[in-house]
Amino acid sequence: MEHHPGDQNMSSSNKMVRRPGAQFWVLMLAAIAIASVISLMVGPLSDPPGWVIFRLRLPRLVLSLLTGGSLAVSGCVLQSLLRNDLATPYTLGISAGAGLAAGSLIVAGIAVPVLGMVAAGTAGALIAVGAVYAISVAAGRRDTGSTLLLAGVTVNLVGASFLLLMEYFTDANRIMEIIRWMMGDMAVVGWAKPVFLLVPWAAGMLLVLRRTGVLNQIAQGDDLAATRGVAVRRERNILLAAAAILAGATVGVAGPVGFVGLIVPHSMRRLAGADYRYLVPASALGGMLLMVVADSISRVVISPAELPIGIVMSMVGGPFFLMLLLKKGRRRKH
Amino acid sequence: MSALEIVGLRAGYGGEPVLTGIDLSVADGEICGLIGSNGAGKSTLLRAVLDLGVDFEGSIMIHGCEGRGMPPMERARLVSYLPQNFNPCSRLTVGETVLLGRFPYRSNWSTDSERDLEIAERSMRECDIWELRDRVFTNLSGGEKRLVLLAAALAQEPRLLLLDEPGSSLDFRHQLNMWLLLRRLSSKGIGILVSTHEVAMAGRFLDRVLVLSEGRTAAFGTPSETFTPDILSEAFGVQLTVTRDAEAGSWSIIPEIRT
Repeated sequence: MEHHPGDQNMSSSNKMVRRPGAQFWVLMLAAIAIASVISLMVGPLSDPPGWVIFRLRLPRLVLSLLTGGSLAVSGCVLQSLLRNDLATPYTLGISAGAGLAAGSLIVAGIAVPVLGMVAAGTAGALIAVGAVYAISVAAGRRDTGSTLLLAGVTVNLVGASFLLLMEYFTDANRIMEIIRWMMGDMAVVGWAKPVFLLVPWAAGMLLVLRRTGVLNQIAQGDDLAATRGVAVRRERNILLAAAAILAGATVGVAGPVGFVGLIVPHSMRRLAGADYRYLVPASALGGMLLMVVADSISRVVISPAELPIGIVMSMVGGPFFLMLLLKKGRRRKH
Repeated sequence: MSALEIVGLRAGYGGEPVLTGIDLSVADGEICGLIGSNGAGKSTLLRAVLDLGVDFEGSIMIHGCEGRGMPPMERARLVSYLPQNFNPCSRLTVGETVLLGRFPYRSNWSTDSERDLEIAERSMRECDIWELRDRVFTNLSGGEKRLVLLAAALAQEPRLLLLDEPGSSLDFRHQLNMWLLLRRLSSKGIGILVSTHEVAMAGRFLDRVLVLSEGRTAAFGTPSETFTPDILSEAFGVQLTVTRDAEAGSWSIIPEIRT
């Protein structure tokens, strides 16, 4: 057994194959457990503690875990399908679609129950991904990765401008409501939201986890994947749908929380290697951890009030991501 | 048995034929070259065999099995491919990249078996890239990347290996090494079909050559039969002087410049 200093996370006999060792998984799970306990304990207790913990904080913790896991895994999938490490769940217009759908309801002044809003956001996200896919099929070029990327960027821009247009013609109170929704919201009372999210979450995760080997192949290029036995078109459609369901339902429930789908897979590539068979589960855990930590921070910084999770994530995630980029750049120069 | 047997092939994209009336056979352990000008249909022929988006009529038999409608996994265990252009986006190491060639032998999710690791090592040693095994693929030079993908293609344990201009972007030494490697592989019984523009260099290593001219067969035979000034000049649309040093077994093919 060779030992490589500074590479403790990789426990394989040589560095030819990098896969995370048992201690990596144990550490990740332990970190999530500790963060979860802290998350259950922080914040003001104005009501009976039992009610606060079981009706507010525990469902909120579960929602954070699900949200973080799905955004990170969805990011992983899109980075393979689009062959671009900077792709996120929102590259395919998911946030624009969900935002438009939720925004329309708010502007129209239709009072819908919480889950109605969630369903509308999910539907909007799926419609946006469907539109992006239809455009890329109509363009019909051989390299589907770059066509999808271009179509996604376009749908995002068009969606954002429609949202602005709606806001322009709406009164200030409702604009505030839209803006607040776009900032992301993890506040829950009771179990409706996490339970609602659990079904699409489990379906999406199952579809992706069965196809991590396929993700490795598709990242190599459509032709190579096909000549190694992957039914590329079918597998890509399934994976695209899974990523859209995961991110769409999550955005519907919690609003478009950014950065998780970008930062987590990026960091996990360093800790767990680039093989999607290990990267996907590692990213799921990493996303859970990040989300729980960010949610705890959002509840304590201006306690008893709380910051929107989207703002916390951007303020923590942005500099962190920049640091990674700069560090990488510096290493290249040597 | 023939590694590849093509009869009466007519192939193209969206109803527009690129190739017509192609007959070709590649025996086990034989290296067959595909030469012709740009756009003559070399890549289309390779893509038809691989079922990569080419519409075709006629018969393509791969190691005795009908190519049309062959399940992708089954085809992947018979044929592997080194594309001309590739641009993988991943931070995988060389070793991990070569192991991806084991995909057709795996179930949906499984770790690399001892046998997978053994075959990957053997493939890397054959391509002389074992020393690169823990390097990150995207940090390699163009020539090294090509060898890594060739090793991945070998890890598929193919009966038939298709290569699309494997020598492009390689210097003389690496080109020569590539051809010597193909010769070694063919001696193990793999049938090889390779498209190339290094006609003179290929002439020393090819068993047979299919010369394509505007989507048709201009000639099919050994290099000595097909490398004539008439055939090659017509295929490439430029007057060529062809000479052979019988002692050294080498060819020189030089375009004439008319002023």
